[in-house]
Amino acid sequence: MSTTLERPALGTPRKVSASKDSRTLLKSQIRTGWALLAPALLHSGIFIVIPVIAVLVLSLTNYSFGDTWAWVGFGNYADLFRDVDFQASLWHTVLYAIVVIPISMAISLAVAIGLNQKIRGLSFFRTAFYIPTVTATVAVATIWLWIYNPGSGLANGFLSLFGFAPNRWLADPATALPSLMVVGIWQGLGTKVIIYLAALQGVSRDLLESSEIDGANRWQKFANVTWPAIGPVQFFVLITSIVGTFQVFDLVYVMTQGGPGSETRVLVMDIYQNAFQDLKLGYASAETVIMMIVIAVFIGVGRLLQKADAND
Amino acid sequence: MTSATLPAIGSAKPSALRPGRVLLYVVLTVGAVLMITPFVWMLLTAFKSNLEIAKFGWLPSELRWRNFSEAMQTAPFLRYFRNSLFIAVGETAFTLVVCTMAGYALAKMPLRGAKSLLNYFIVLLLVPFQIILVPLFLIVKSIPLFGGNNILGHGGIGWLNSWWGLIIPLGAAPLFTFLARQFYVSLPDELAQAARVDGLGEFGIFLRIMTPLIKPALITIAVFQIEAAWNGFLWPLMITTSDSMRPLQLGLAIFSQNPAEIQWPYLMAGTALATLPMIVLFVFAQKRFVEGMANVGIKG
Repeated sequence: MSTTLERPALGTPRKVSASKDSRTLLKSQIRTGWALLAPALLHSGIFIVIPVIAVLVLSLTNYSFGDTWAWVGFGNYADLFRDVDFQASLWHTVLYAIVVIPISMAISLAVAIGLNQKIRGLSFFRTAFYIPTVTATVAVATIWLWIYNPGSGLANGFLSLFGFAPNRWLADPATALPSLMVVGIWQGLGTKVIIYLAALQGVSRDLLESSEIDGANRWQKFANVTWPAIGPVQFFVLITSIVGTFQVFDLVYVMTQGGPGSETRVLVMDIYQNAFQDLKLGYASAETVIMMIVIAVFIGVGRLLQKADAND
Repeated sequence: MTSATLPAIGSAKPSALRPGRVLLYVVLTVGAVLMITPFVWMLLTAFKSNLEIAKFGWLPSELRWRNFSEAMQTAPFLRYFRNSLFIAVGETAFTLVVCTMAGYALAKMPLRGAKSLLNYFIVLLLVPFQIILVPLFLIVKSIPLFGGNNILGHGGIGWLNSWWGLIIPLGAAPLFTFLARQFYVSLPDELAQAARVDGLGEFGIFLRIMTPLIKPALITIAVFQIEAAWNGFLWPLMITTSDSMRPLQLGLAIFSQNPAEIQWPYLMAGTALATLPMIVLFVFAQKRFVEGMANVGIKG
């Protein structure tokens, strides 16, 4: 398929043959294009599109891995509204997203701006901030599990330096979720810093210099030139952060298993337990549909914020 | 560790010693220390005895290297390690092939509806894997003609408990197709044109002319995919039932499943060994990796 292109005959650059060549070329390109695209289309169709449709359909059934199942309409959804565990999970996940996303984006941007000055040891800093990201969540969770250890952990060791009483961190209902948020923020900084850094390095020097000539101070330069220029990247970071925070699972699974009580129960965990421990697949699918809707709402709000920002 | 961050005395830049600069270095260094401290802590703990970890402290009384070898013996870690490596390499190879091909087609081939196809991949990028967990499991279970399934996908376990199931479904993420496309789009068409005049076919142009030019993208995709595969937890937890295919992360989690008797030094030793390859990978790939990220946010 790759060798169908005819060489133009020497010394006969006539119009007719040229257009015939370009038609052959176009055909060959289209054929090659679809052939190149086919595996990705097939893969995404089977492993993403069909599952998304299946979630929607399954959510209307009482399917549970067995041979018999029945349509239950919106029964699963009605049950969810009365399910205390689900409500707690949904609330914790939304709270987690609302706290973690803005804080981690703000810190990452600040760090990236710091790293974007002409500084020494850039690759050291880059690696330092990225280390938590390359580490498996299970490993990260394990380390923090010990940092938060009420008996001999680093967190209480740190508090005792200043004479504070030790805290029970993950074991205390009041501090369990905030403790997890700290780990989430800490772990997510690396990727965001690198994306922001790449974006900042792409901001036009000319624009920055001309605004300097116009007498703009640092803050004005940032607000008028840098901030608008990194808009698309901000949006990319926002979207990936939304998707990422709603996915939080490993962290919770290893650190608290949703406890104490159900103080740190999150959505994916609830879905996982309903689907694979209680085998209520239809029910878990309905939960998933609600999660999709909530993510869509978050992304919608993100778009609105970005539009409002662009209109300023 | 911090010596690399301090400006050299008598540095060429006169601005290097302004108070603002000093403050910048101080803040960045404190930040970096906050990032690294847990890892230093992890490494130090890996050398301690069970007695020592009962109280808060930094330095181990002696370097117990045997913690590492003993940790490796408590579970078949060598096999877990090999499994993780196999999954990471397989998934990365699969992703590189599928996503560069698709990215190139979207960027350079005159396909009708190329714009909508691009949008299709961007929308898919927003679907978190956890959302499709349940049906994905069912689909993998009913892959026809595998694991005792008939042609309709009934009767057996399909790709469950198989390398196929561990590698293929989570490979070739739409994010990487999008990333590859962003790079191909910025390459000049004249290159392809010149190769065409030389008689190279369309596939040859893709493989031998254009793809070698997007090395930063290839490295970025590879680093991300290796990391994701190496650190994968939920999917292998769901679809494997036997030890023979389980990756490293599941092995480590088994350590802490019984909160009453966690072997902290062993756990830390195992975790350190699991993390090291990824840190080394990033240190070596970071420059190209950052170049690679620069194109992700670009629209179009």
